[in-house]
Amino acid sequence: MDASDPLTMGNAIVTLDVLHSGVIWHWYVTMNFWAKSVATGVVLLLPFLLTRFEAPKLRLQAAVVSVLFINITLLFTVLDLHQPFRFWHIFAYTQTRSVIALGAWLLTFFNFLGMGLAALAYLKKDALFDKLLPVQWVLGFFATVYTAGLLGQANARELWHAPTETAQMLLAATLAGSALFLIIGAGGEQARRPLAQVLGLSAFVSATIFAAELVFGPQKSAEAEHLVHILVSGELSAIFWTGLVVGLIVPIVAVLVGGEKPTHPLMIGAGVAGLAGLWLLKHAWLIAPQLVPLS
Amino acid sequence: MQLGFLVDLDNCIGCKACEVACKSENNVPVNSWRLRVKYVDFGVFPEVKRTFTPMRCNQCANAPCERSCPVAALHTLDNGIVNIDKDRCIGCAACMMACPYGAIYMDPETNTADKCTYCAHRTEAGLEPACVVVCPTEANIFGDLDDPKSNIRKYIHAHSDTRVRKPEKGTKPRHFYTGAGAIHLEPSSSRREEGKNLFGNIGKLDKIGGH
Repeated sequence: MDASDPLTMGNAIVTLDVLHSGVIWHWYVTMNFWAKSVATGVVLLLPFLLTRFEAPKLRLQAAVVSVLFINITLLFTVLDLHQPFRFWHIFAYTQTRSVIALGAWLLTFFNFLGMGLAALAYLKKDALFDKLLPVQWVLGFFATVYTAGLLGQANARELWHAPTETAQMLLAATLAGSALFLIIGAGGEQARRPLAQVLGLSAFVSATIFAAELVFGPQKSAEAEHLVHILVSGELSAIFWTGLVVGLIVPIVAVLVGGEKPTHPLMIGAGVAGLAGLWLLKHAWLIAPQLVPLS
Repeated sequence: MQLGFLVDLDNCIGCKACEVACKSENNVPVNSWRLRVKYVDFGVFPEVKRTFTPMRCNQCANAPCERSCPVAALHTLDNGIVNIDKDRCIGCAACMMACPYGAIYMDPETNTADKCTYCAHRTEAGLEPACVVVCPTEANIFGDLDDPKSNIRKYIHAHSDTRVRKPEKGTKPRHFYTGAGAIHLEPSSSRREEGKNLFGNIGKLDKIGGH
């Protein structure tokens, strides 16, 4: 009988060990991911709306929403630190190989330029606003996808290394951005259908990727297989499937039901469902790899 | 000089003297561990066996914790030890997410990350780490991996079954094991059932650091 013999390993059981650290990054980090999706999503979609519709309040609405949600992101980022009053160390001692450090700079620039854009929109300086918007769009794009790099640097957590992580981040942003615009009625009635289409399409592609990757696709390692099991049929399955149905399926159905002329109440429902489900999906995705002991 | 560790698991008797010495030497708080000895039982009665596996930071040459630290609190010393500056650490736990060996903990008293440093304060003074000194069977072998005359180099050379944990992660650990099987090194090779067992509780920490 040998400890390396696979036949003897079937009934191996841990009989003495230290306590497992459990969930280290908890719902504060979920809030970070979720709020950032809204903040960058509205910026990513704004040029799409501005080039198609005349809506006097659109710039101000988008800028205020973006600044509000990016500050929610930053608030929860700081709250999650075990030494929150040392947050300034990130800027004073930036370690440039760390995606977290690069992300902190990115979000800071995004926040300040967002505040500037909000001020310009309030003062109705639309020409200058439109000149600066492409810069904010680029910042918003990288602020969206840097999280995939952040999760990729978490070498220990297999699930977060999915090749479609960047695509899911972008889809989360377009889903959250369109959902928020639909809830507040940005762009008026004329923008409702295109926004609903963005919402429905984002949800559809995201759901397709989840299905292909988690339900039908093979996993690259036994650990990844186990993590997918936790999500799909294990400890987190209730959160995951609720998130998937509420956040992705319900908006798709609402958009289909809405047809050519979706009503505002229906789109509010679709938007709220999209945002609530997205939070649950992000949360399940964040928690799953932390439930498995690493050693 | 590149300091490294090797544990000869055929010699380890699971006495946990190393664990206690580490706690004492480094004032490691309650519910935190820089070094631990894990027991795994396997087989079917009466053919059963118990394995003992001491685990500590691997002082990786390609350390993911160091790479992910946003403030460079984790840094590699000239002797290969991955050290931590607790005054600089912001407690973001990115290192805990990155380390594939679960070797980093959040100190509940300082609210900063901490880990085994091969007793950097002792090695700097020419002493061996506390866990090496107390091991009654000399299962812990410590020394300079660059020195062909060092005990650890000779040991690695003499043992063809020398292994590291999770080599597929590409971290290039400087911590080796001989006499190790999958049960010792791969967490997925054994069940971890929460609740009371023969010796105590298998479970989860109630909170991490100050959270």
